[in-house]
This record gives sequence, C-alpha cells and structure tokens, in this order.
Amino acid sequence: MKVDIRERKGVTILEIDGRIIGSDSLTLKQIIDDQMSTAENGKINLLLNMAKVRAMDSLGLGVVVATFTSVQRTGGRVALLKISGNMNSLIVMTKLLTIFDRYDDEDEAIASFQ
Amino acid sequence: MGETTETVIRLELPSSTQFIYVLDAVISEMLREMGFDEETCEQVNLAVIEAGTNAIKHGNKEDPNKQAHFEFILSADKVTIVVQDQGIGFNRQDVADPLDPANLMKSSGRGIFLMEACMDSVDYEASGTIIRMVKHKPSGDSNN
Repeated sequence: MKVDIRERKGVTILEIDGRIIGSDSLTLKQIIDDQMSTAENGKINLLLNMAKVRAMDSLGLGVVVATFTSVQRTGGRVALLKISGNMNSLIVMTKLLTIFDRYDDEDEAIASFQ
Repeated sequence: MGETTETVIRLELPSSTQFIYVLDAVISEMLREMGFDEETCEQVNLAVIEAGTNAIKHGNKEDPNKQAHFEFILSADKVTIVVQDQGIGFNRQDVADPLDPANLMKSSGRGIFLMEACMDSVDYEASGTIIRMVKHKPSGDSNN
C-alpha cells in the first residue's frame, strides 16, 4: 500500500494505492493520526481517494470506520472518493453504504466541504 | 488437474499480521491457476485473509511462539481451506452481529461475518481453533 497526501481548499486528500490488508491498516491509521495531530485542535477535513484501492480487509475497514468517528468527534468530516468495485461490495455487505459520504468526482467532493 | 485429483498445499505463518500479505499472494495465485474468475478470487481471498487474521490476532494473540497453519485442498470444482491456530478457541454463538445497528460503527468484529458471506460454507471445529471453508467454482469457469 502507498499513500500520497495533498491539500486542496482546506481538505486533506489521501490518495491510497494498493491492497489494504493485514498490517497495512496500522500504517494507514498512523498516517491518518499524524494528519489529525498536525491539524488545528485535531479538526480535519479528510477525503480518502479509494480509486486505486484494489482490496481491503476488515482491519482496513475498521480503520476507516474509526477515522469517521474520531474525525467527527473533533468537528471535522470524512468523505470517500471513487470507491471501486471490491470496496463497494465490502461497504454494501457490511451495511456501511448509508454511513459514509461518497463521491465519484473530486471537485464535487471538495465543494461539499466548503 | 483431473476430476478426482486433489492437490494439498500447506503453509505455516508466524503470528504477526505483517505476514498476511504472504497469504494474500499465495491464495491469489492458486485460485487464478485453478481458473476461478476474478470476482470469486477476491471473495475467497478476503475470506482467507480474515480467517488468517483471526487465527493470528484472536487465536494466537500474536504470540511469536505460536504458528497459524493453512491447508489448501484444490480439486477440479472447489477449493477447501482449513485454518488452524494454537489458541483456546471461541464459540461462534458468542460473536456479535456486525450488522446490528448497535455494532455498525464499531471498528472491529466483521471478520467472521465476511468469511461466511464470501464462502459457500464455513465450519468451526475443535472449539473454533480449526476453521474449514469451501468455495465451489462457479459453473462455466474454465479449468486449467
């Protein structure tokens, strides 16, 4: 798994590439925690670009769910961008479809944070 | 691979989730070689990863002195996967339903559910220290 980080209009965008399985979830959690710790009062607007995520296990999904909860608690917001087939199946199966804010277009996702 | 032939492949992993990628690579190649379609490959892959993670994290509690054992039984029409840990086991009935609204936002507890959702059958033996899972090849898939 590889994660590139960039900022756009006050939104931190994580471009996640690869399979998030096993200990990758710990790496992803650390990256997100680092971003939250450098944000003012821990408040962060986070967009997770999942376009290149080819697979994710329950540990990885657990990190996304935990991030959703912890970011909300600090007054920030998390959204998912470009969920691919496997990821979509996982989210449907686990009934998280209505929980996550999901977008297929980055401009639209960024606008939703403004 | 003939219709009555079974091939058995065994794998042993140290009790650390950092080795789950090995499992991912092995099962992916095995299933492609068997002629499983991409979607079924991903389902079996996820189930095996979840079973392996459970064996390592919850069964062996990441004890470096314990191993997780995997047996892949390949035949023309199905794959059977047996996962064994060296823990004390668990009772399937005690595992909470991750789809219950009260559990939806929990960060863990989805592994067993995903295994059962992705495979044709999942059986628990030896107090839950052995998990036996079967996936049949969808009809119409080519056989190598």
